[in-house]
Amino acid sequence: MTAAIAPTRSFAGLARYGLIIALVLVFSLFSTVAPTFLSVGNLQSILVNNFTLLAIVSVAMTFAVAAGGIDLSVGTAVDFASFAFVSGILAGLPVPLAALAGLGAGALVGVVNAILISAIGVSPFLATLGTLFIGRSIQQLLTDGGNPVYLPPSGVPAAFRFIGHGTVAGLPVPPLIAAVIIAGAALLFARMRFGRVVLAIGIQPRTVRYSGIGLAKHVAVTFILASTIAAFAGLILTATVTVYIPSSGNGFMLNAIGATFIGTTFSPLGRPNVAGTVLGVLLLSIVANGLLLTGLNFYWQQVGTGLLIFVVLAFSFVNKKAVGA
Amino acid sequence: MSADVQFASLPERPTAHTLPTGGKLAAAALRFGSLLAFAAILVIFALTAPYFLTVGNIGNVLGQSAISGVLAIGLTIVLIAGGSNVVTGGIDLSLAANMGLSAAVYATLIQLGFSDAVAAVGALATGLAIGAVNALAIVFAGIVPLLATLAVMNVVAGLELVLTQNTVLPASTDLLTVLSSSDGFGIPILAYVLIGFTIIVTAIVQFTPLGLRLYAVGEFPEAARAAGLPLKSLVAGAFVASGFCGGVAGILSVAYLSGSTTGSGEMLLPVVVTALLGSVFSRRLVPTIGGTLISTLFVGFLINGFQLLNLPSTLVSGVQGLLILIVVSATTLLRKREV
Repeated sequence: MTAAIAPTRSFAGLARYGLIIALVLVFSLFSTVAPTFLSVGNLQSILVNNFTLLAIVSVAMTFAVAAGGIDLSVGTAVDFASFAFVSGILAGLPVPLAALAGLGAGALVGVVNAILISAIGVSPFLATLGTLFIGRSIQQLLTDGGNPVYLPPSGVPAAFRFIGHGTVAGLPVPPLIAAVIIAGAALLFARMRFGRVVLAIGIQPRTVRYSGIGLAKHVAVTFILASTIAAFAGLILTATVTVYIPSSGNGFMLNAIGATFIGTTFSPLGRPNVAGTVLGVLLLSIVANGLLLTGLNFYWQQVGTGLLIFVVLAFSFVNKKAVGA
Repeated sequence: MSADVQFASLPERPTAHTLPTGGKLAAAALRFGSLLAFAAILVIFALTAPYFLTVGNIGNVLGQSAISGVLAIGLTIVLIAGGSNVVTGGIDLSLAANMGLSAAVYATLIQLGFSDAVAAVGALATGLAIGAVNALAIVFAGIVPLLATLAVMNVVAGLELVLTQNTVLPASTDLLTVLSSSDGFGIPILAYVLIGFTIIVTAIVQFTPLGLRLYAVGEFPEAARAAGLPLKSLVAGAFVASGFCGGVAGILSVAYLSGSTTGSGEMLLPVVVTALLGSVFSRRLVPTIGGTLISTLFVGFLINGFQLLNLPSTLVSGVQGLLILIVVSATTLLRKREV
């Protein structure tokens, strides 16, 4: 027993920093292969184009995973928010009101999930799968079978443009919003009772139930929170491209799951955590951007991304062995 | 002696007694309820849609359901061996992409001038290989199935695009012509393929010791381990079997679409729904091959009825979603009342 501890510890240490090591490796690989990778313009493009939206959706996913579930309907929340926002702007609502409508529409998805999961007791996977399917139908019905809803590029209000393309002190607004959400979520898990309860639910739901903490209430709030956070991504998405395309949010879902679980596998105890998720998103965004710059065929890029996630996950094997889980 | 005593006390009497009596009622209510719902929907369509109850149409539905049916059966095997927890247990997200790549391999081999036999073996080998990668990742590297198959799904979907350059690869051979034709009664050959495939897999999974072991591993992994079952091999085998089903579905889809087309990923969630819904049609509310077949046909008839009634096809996914939610909520509420 004691003899085995020394090498195990060093392995655990390695695995704990495995994600950062992977990031450094990928980073240096692309900076040597693609000369333009390290340019300021490109790094900014990673942040704005690849990182922001996925990071927000992944933080939303992290909440659901932290509570021991999964949220397959984050993309639906993105889409609902996007649709309501666009409709609000088209109807001539002031931008803050339209944005609120968007957030509300996103949160609605979470409310449905919360009722199914907390009040009825459906497993999160099935409940959110159901809302995903129904959400898809609703979107197609609202858009006559899936037609995009365009906004006149010239006629959008300044505040709308600001969300997508504005800058504060020289920094683009979308990543700033993402940063605020990430910081808020990290704070919630690290410093607040709610975050600790959510994590406890993910690890020992029965203990939480028997301790008299409102299990159902906390799970409900978690899923509503997840959808609301995802809704922010919907607002930014719309404000950046000034169009609503049905079901475009679903593209984020699988990558968000990937990022969240990459973060989970690399955390010391295998727990979902915001920092790990953000590093996972960073890894995915850098790979997506780097592969694009290498001039590889677009189709090979998907293979590359998949392989990389696979290798990174296989690394967790070392981690798990080391932790002894 | 002591071992005997232990075994005798293992089945927990109280739960074993209370759950079946009450649980049976609840399960029966749900099972017959869902069968009744199925029957009711069929009757409504039969009364409202003029051509619904013709042999040709029923055969058509069977034929159209062949591809998703084979995929759903593959997923069901994984569900049985992996248990009910979808995140850590039985799920294979790479199945739809597997079908796409297998179909692409088949069509490519045909275009390169190989024979039907070689192409079919190529497609099946592709499916098996993908299943093997999943199995290795899950059983030996210990990656959670949801994630392992997610990563494999990305790789496989990418490979399909690389192979086909995102274009349609037409293919027509003798085998494909046979598969896509109809018999004298206007029933597509694919319908027979689905029935035949279901019978074979049902025979293996439902009526052999091997199948029983799969259930044991999925429902009570600890007990299965204690009983000396080769846990890892059985779970790995289930993922390989599911990969094989992906290969079979690939060949069927080449036949159905006269070539390989992109967009196989769209099949994934409907197939997951079908497989999960299948357990409602079984006696003990567990995944079974027969239940999955019924659920496949349920979805097939639903889509068909919508088409015949000229209802917007966009409603189908909504109805599917509602179905899962109603069925699963009912199951959960019924079970809750028992406890």
